[in-house]
Amino acid sequence: MLSRSTFLRGGVGLTALFASARPVLADAPLDLPVGGHREISPGRPGGTLRVSVATDIGSLDPHALSATNVQWIGRILFDNLVYLDEQGIPSPWLAKSWIISPDGKTYTFSLRDDVTFSDGAKFNAEAVLINLEHMRAPATKSPLAGTYIQPYASGRVVDEFTFEATLRAAYSPFLNVLAQSWLAMESPKTITECPASLAYHPVGSGPFILESYKPQLGMSFIRRPDYNWSAPVTGHQGAAYLDRLEFEFVPDASVRYFSLASGEYDFTTDVPAQAAAAAQADQALTLTNRVRMGCPNRAIAFNVTKPPFDDLRVRRATALAMDRDGVAEIAGFGTYRPIANFLSETTQYYDASAASSLAYDPDEANRLFDEAGWIGRDADGYRNRNGERLGAKIAITSTLSSIPVIVEIQSDLRRVGFDLQLEALPSGQLLQQRNAGQYQAMSGGVWHTNTPDALYINYHGSQIPGWKQGGQNTSRLNDPQLNTLLEQARETNDTGALRSLYAQAQTRLIELVPAVPLYDNHTVIAYGSHVRGVIYDTSHETPHFETIWLDEGAA
Amino acid sequence: MTRRLLGRLGAGLVVLWGTATLVFFVINLTPGDPAITILGGPDALPTPAVLRQVRAEYGFDQPLWGQYLHYLGRLLHGDFGVSYRLHQPVLKLIAGQFGATATLALWAMVLGSGLALLVALTTAKRARWLTELLTWAEVVLSSVPSFITGLLLLLAFSFSLHLFPSSSTHGWTSIILPTVTLALPVAGVLIQVLRRELEEILEQPFIITARTRGLSETGVRLGHALRHALIPTLTILGVMFTTLLSTAVVVETVFNRQGLGRMMSDATTNRDVPLVLGIALLVTSINILANIVIDFIYVVVDPRTERHE
Repeated sequence: MLSRSTFLRGGVGLTALFASARPVLADAPLDLPVGGHREISPGRPGGTLRVSVATDIGSLDPHALSATNVQWIGRILFDNLVYLDEQGIPSPWLAKSWIISPDGKTYTFSLRDDVTFSDGAKFNAEAVLINLEHMRAPATKSPLAGTYIQPYASGRVVDEFTFEATLRAAYSPFLNVLAQSWLAMESPKTITECPASLAYHPVGSGPFILESYKPQLGMSFIRRPDYNWSAPVTGHQGAAYLDRLEFEFVPDASVRYFSLASGEYDFTTDVPAQAAAAAQADQALTLTNRVRMGCPNRAIAFNVTKPPFDDLRVRRATALAMDRDGVAEIAGFGTYRPIANFLSETTQYYDASAASSLAYDPDEANRLFDEAGWIGRDADGYRNRNGERLGAKIAITSTLSSIPVIVEIQSDLRRVGFDLQLEALPSGQLLQQRNAGQYQAMSGGVWHTNTPDALYINYHGSQIPGWKQGGQNTSRLNDPQLNTLLEQARETNDTGALRSLYAQAQTRLIELVPAVPLYDNHTVIAYGSHVRGVIYDTSHETPHFETIWLDEGAA
Repeated sequence: MTRRLLGRLGAGLVVLWGTATLVFFVINLTPGDPAITILGGPDALPTPAVLRQVRAEYGFDQPLWGQYLHYLGRLLHGDFGVSYRLHQPVLKLIAGQFGATATLALWAMVLGSGLALLVALTTAKRARWLTELLTWAEVVLSSVPSFITGLLLLLAFSFSLHLFPSSSTHGWTSIILPTVTLALPVAGVLIQVLRRELEEILEQPFIITARTRGLSETGVRLGHALRHALIPTLTILGVMFTTLLSTAVVVETVFNRQGLGRMMSDATTNRDVPLVLGIALLVTSINILANIVIDFIYVVVDPRTERHE
């Protein structure tokens, strides 16, 4: 078991380091702005933006990746068929319009006729067909895009700029997922002639072209001067303003903060949570904190098929015993917002009325444990039943940076007599247990997508991970009522029906407590005050780079 | 001399084969699902068809012995395979990173041993307070973790004084701070060894003889004592060179440098078998070569070592 104090000391030490560098007055950068998805006024062209990024994703073919950074790297290099509007509804991009057949199985897209890829290939119906086939071809080894379009059965080139996609069954998230960068449009020429080169030399139709990619070190992009097809929702016209983008991978959190503050970089896509308050207090920096769509951070996913979490009362009591505010504070140093719902508030069809019943309530937790028969107490103060101690092991990766969070939860649970033990495993071993279902609880993580179908991915009975299929339902929940609601939601495009189905699904999840949602999934970025025009992606709340410009006078 | 060299090279090949075998089995027998790992770990959401494809393409559906023989066969043809995660040939990836680590390690060795020579030669067998002070300094230098030294150097010279950039991509001066970070523990250990040796040797009768012949203190230290003290120091230096590669991981991370150390650490976390094996074989080869080189330097420094074999 890991010692609580060691981790707290580590965290406090680092915070003290930041605090010593500059006076920290602001407490919590928790003002979460809405909007910011649209360019307000045109910027000035020219200049190079130097950006620090926490991690390298190793390769650059979005169809063959599941990495989070694809969200914004994709927007630099590629375009998508559609783009979400500010309400989360699919709107035009490379597809000008579309018609969905009444049975929801046929989508007819009418495409832009003025788009080219940077290798000269034309964007047309054939290009869309080649891209969808590339995403689902087993040889592409797609960890995400292929699954997101699994219901796609066949495509047909109706004429040069009309494409028809036929699905096996109605699938309401289809347009939403087509707006995500993992499903971006790549050059059909490169896909056909040299698919292996996509990993290190991807070719798209986006506002920038890859100039160089050096693994572990960085990547640079140059502006494409003839770009003129930004998604209309962004309000941007013409080419990007910046001549060049220079990204460098700076894995160390404190170096990332200090090198931004000292002006070595103009921008960072990953502000370490422990440095957010210092960045906020710095007059020369702008910090923004945005909440992402999808499933919020679940520190614990219960395995509902194994004791003790096969007992609903134990699951609920465990959830109620967690001091969400305290945990969010530990995890985000005041930057993360606590949430007790299974969908983030920013997600379409979020139902606020479902949220309240998982609020922190140690008294009710104690009552439920009593009711479940865990009445006795042993010498260490833990509950027991027939001589058996109430407790469970939570399997986490040995490199997991959120260990302090679990340690905090461990101490919350100790107060109600529950013995939570941390089992830190190498990631390979963890995957083995996950496939085999040999665990009592796991660190649940986030599932970040731009549709409430995130609930299907995380909790539908068909999504239990195993040897034969990947899956994100680590709670191993298979509730017929919930399954039906989530299936029906996939089958209708009627907004009224969707609202009602997703509200019922959220309520049902609160009843079942397969996991404990604790705090939102945030994008925290910071940049120098000379950086202007930062807008955010409607799908992922990550920054867009074609609207950014440098106000050198303000530097 | 030639027979000795051939013998050492032959032994080196056996060690290489042993390394390949050991690493292959250790990494493959660790529980886990390599297919999911290749696809991106817990975040991956592949279809069943994709999972089958990955298992067939990489031969995970074959028995382990078959995989091993296949792997050895390819290795003999100089084929190191393609990285699972980076989707590029292993040799190309290693070639791209090797220069950065080698440059860093060599500069650190030069600076570390230079510093050690200077300090040890000038301070051995001097005032008692100086000896006490150095003993402390040696312990501190050789035991403070590199990531702390690195961060402190960055805070002082990069972020406060703006003398050096924090990232390796920002000009040639960027190599100075990482070199110092790596060189300090090397210097710490080497000063310790070299100083102890010198102190012992400076008590020997032949030193007194040299002094009675009227040699200057510098002459005694440089001309007589140093040569004797170098042998054990060289042995330590060989060992230190090996550990430099592992310390490099930390330095490469803190200073945003390319390098084998960081690539090895990522590859191990991601279970990228071809890349881990490729780097392991390279590091082993370097160690074998470094030891052979040091063996021959012994002979140059002290010709008696050859006769004693």
